[in-house]
Amino acid sequence: MESIKEEKKLLMYTYLLGIVLFFNLFFIGKDGFDKGALIMGVIICFIFAYSHFIIRRFFPDGDKYILLFSNVLAVIGMGMIYRLDSPMALKQLIWYTVGIAVFILVVVLMPSLSKFGKYKYFYMICTLILMSMGSIFGDPTNGSKNWISIAGFTFQPTEFGKLSLVAYLAASLQYYGKNLKDKAELLKIKALIEPGIVVMISLGFMVTQKDLGSALIFFAISITMLYIATSNLKYVLVCLGLFIIGGFISYKLFGHVRLRFMIWGDPWKYGNNEGHQVVQSLISIASGGLFGTGLGLGYPKMVPVRESDFIFSAISEEMGLLTGFAILILYFLMFYRCMRVPIYSKDNFTRLLAVGYSTMIAAQALVIVGGVVGAIPLTGITLPLVSYGGSSMIITFFSLGILQKISEDGQSYE
Amino acid sequence: MNDFVNNIKKVMLVFLVLFIALISYITYSYMFTSEKTLASTFNQRLWAERNKVLRGTIYDKDMNALTKSTKISETSQKLKYLQGAAFSHAIGYMDPIYGLAGLEKKYDAQLMDSGESAISKLVFFSKDTEEKIGNGLRTTLDSKLQLKAYELLKQTNHKGAIVALNPKTGEVLAMVSNPSYDPNNLERDMKGLNTNNDVPLLNRAVSGLYPPGSVFKTITAVSALENIPGVYNKGFSDNGKLVVNGTQLLKNYDGEVFGNIDFKKAYVHSSNVFFGSLGIDLGNKALRDTAEKFYFNKDMNATGMTIDPSQFPTYKSNEKGNIAQSAIGQAAVLATPMEMALVASSVANNGIMMEPMLVKEILSSKGKSLETTEPKQLGQVMTPETASTMKELMRGVVTDGTGGNAAVSGIDVSGKTGTADHKADANAQTAAHSWFIGFAPYDNPTIAIAVIVEEGGVGGGKAAQITGKLMETYLK
Repeated sequence: MESIKEEKKLLMYTYLLGIVLFFNLFFIGKDGFDKGALIMGVIICFIFAYSHFIIRRFFPDGDKYILLFSNVLAVIGMGMIYRLDSPMALKQLIWYTVGIAVFILVVVLMPSLSKFGKYKYFYMICTLILMSMGSIFGDPTNGSKNWISIAGFTFQPTEFGKLSLVAYLAASLQYYGKNLKDKAELLKIKALIEPGIVVMISLGFMVTQKDLGSALIFFAISITMLYIATSNLKYVLVCLGLFIIGGFISYKLFGHVRLRFMIWGDPWKYGNNEGHQVVQSLISIASGGLFGTGLGLGYPKMVPVRESDFIFSAISEEMGLLTGFAILILYFLMFYRCMRVPIYSKDNFTRLLAVGYSTMIAAQALVIVGGVVGAIPLTGITLPLVSYGGSSMIITFFSLGILQKISEDGQSYE
Repeated sequence: MNDFVNNIKKVMLVFLVLFIALISYITYSYMFTSEKTLASTFNQRLWAERNKVLRGTIYDKDMNALTKSTKISETSQKLKYLQGAAFSHAIGYMDPIYGLAGLEKKYDAQLMDSGESAISKLVFFSKDTEEKIGNGLRTTLDSKLQLKAYELLKQTNHKGAIVALNPKTGEVLAMVSNPSYDPNNLERDMKGLNTNNDVPLLNRAVSGLYPPGSVFKTITAVSALENIPGVYNKGFSDNGKLVVNGTQLLKNYDGEVFGNIDFKKAYVHSSNVFFGSLGIDLGNKALRDTAEKFYFNKDMNATGMTIDPSQFPTYKSNEKGNIAQSAIGQAAVLATPMEMALVASSVANNGIMMEPMLVKEILSSKGKSLETTEPKQLGQVMTPETASTMKELMRGVVTDGTGGNAAVSGIDVSGKTGTADHKADANAQTAAHSWFIGFAPYDNPTIAIAVIVEEGGVGGGKAAQITGKLMETYLK
């Protein structure tokens, strides 16, 4: 009972956040008041209410906070995008709606997920195809060769590749250790060779497509799932070692990898050309300070690609570092809720799937925020749920839907 | 199962550490590096903030615009200097890379002030519907005279400076320094300007320190008239050189011998011998006191400019040579053209030195006067009687003496020539600086001028000619 009250309170705060944010946008409209902002705010609140109602009413056993946290992040993102470029925010609203729809559909329509554990090779083939698509069809946008366009829509196949990779790893690692209890260590390792090769091939594709951010996230997902599946720290250390060696080789081999490190080392030296993005992002964050300049009062438009990769800088500038910290804390809370899901799950496949998707979202947030604040070399990926981007939105909501579904199944079986 | 839960916990812990590390890193950068980050030249935010207000216009005294700001985009504007190089030293410039100079610098806050207070914005919810325009600045410059002065000075192909003042108010009517620069093309020219040996960025009118030569005799004359009773009517025998204790201290220009002369003739013909011995009679202290009354060795207030102090040296009583030389504006005496213009202006204004002003009025963007500069006296630097004697002497220079070239038919021009020796290089034979200070008309002076043409030869030549032409331009 207590938890329902808490949840309602949190929901109220989310509405309040949405209302305040879009009221603010209403007041700062360019020519007088901006009615569009109000309409958008109302629509977003309605979608909140609707999604929450469906989940509460029909699937009361699952985790309620996953959807709540993701809604908070999405509303902050849409508010910021609206301030930067209102037509873009409208598109983002559509993607958000589609994302919520995907989330609900996954929860409503998917049969029990444990059945999907047996299609290991299907996932493997999907992964390999999606990973290689960028190298074959890709046209270089923003220096990376990971966008492809089909029928007018451009999207990143590797984003979808992440989904199938997690599914593949979950399917292939689920039996690890079972029936092998008494057998030799060597046989255990043998079971890891095939997934290891698939991961390596995927990482190779990522690096050649200059999509270093995705490569990093892939690695984080793989190593986490490996640890959860095997409980063996040795494997993790070996993988880390291999990753460092691989990283060193690609540093020597590829100019774009070296460039990333060079900019990271001293962005100011390259402030006029290669380091422009990072430098402008750092200035943007610094000029906002702890409390920000206030929505509409800063100059986040001086930062390139501020609607997607650099949205964290734009938010920090106008809403303050405190909002930035709040976003990071929200990601961690969401990660925490997501990682609770597999505990109640019964079969290994769904557990690993849940771990994989949770890690995916958290790692992505860490890598892009670390990049825009200059803590790690910058890699162009989106901040899940906050950044502008259709494929990112849909994929994130899809994985959250899967997590919701797993939590639902896990709770109801018990 | 327990194993699994523990693993999950460990993974959560790792991520918690990562998130905390990231937040700590951001906090660290906020606390320790953000100041440096904001000061970076890549930070265009300060200029963007400024550019919300369209910069105010600078006008000449008749309200003709000298600058014009136009908006390029929301966060940038282009400032055009309508008269180019002729006004650049007076007005200065504003540039996102090279910063601010001149009036643009001194009045930056006013030029950027659109008069909108934070309170009115809060109370009236005022939307930025109408464009914000900074206050305007009405200078005292006379465009016609300024352009003419620049043209005349440029034509000589010599470096130099011209200052024209209204003796009654201290208004700067013209202020020119050659070589100049075009503030419209700073990006293109700045590198060359900074390395050019002729230092075009220097405003010679207020910062150029030159030996004044014979124009300084005006101050020596004032000092003598006020310190040595009866000096005006005393006779003097000028044999072409001044010899004290067997050492020749100085000689007249071109070795001229004037014979028996009086005070007036000595001034009109610029006798070095007479004024050199006058300097010895006065002594270093008395002459220095008079010079300091004229603001030598002192900072002078001025509206819209910073004037470098002119210098008059201190000598021991046995340094006769230096004392005699200093009385004719040589030795270590250095003066700015502005200082010498003020000397002429004080003579013209009954001995009252007026504080120079370049800005007359600050106007709101709608033309309402917000602040006016009232004329201020710097002091009575000589008695009215001395001033009237000096006026007469200076008139004589143009009618009977060395300054004939400054004469203009129909206007009673008065003045004093100066031919100042200077040693750029001990061995090099360089021409003297050509100086002229003057005022007109004689009865009711409305303009006082100082001209220096570097290495322009005798003062009665180039500098006197330029002065005559400027008087004609201004008074006819």
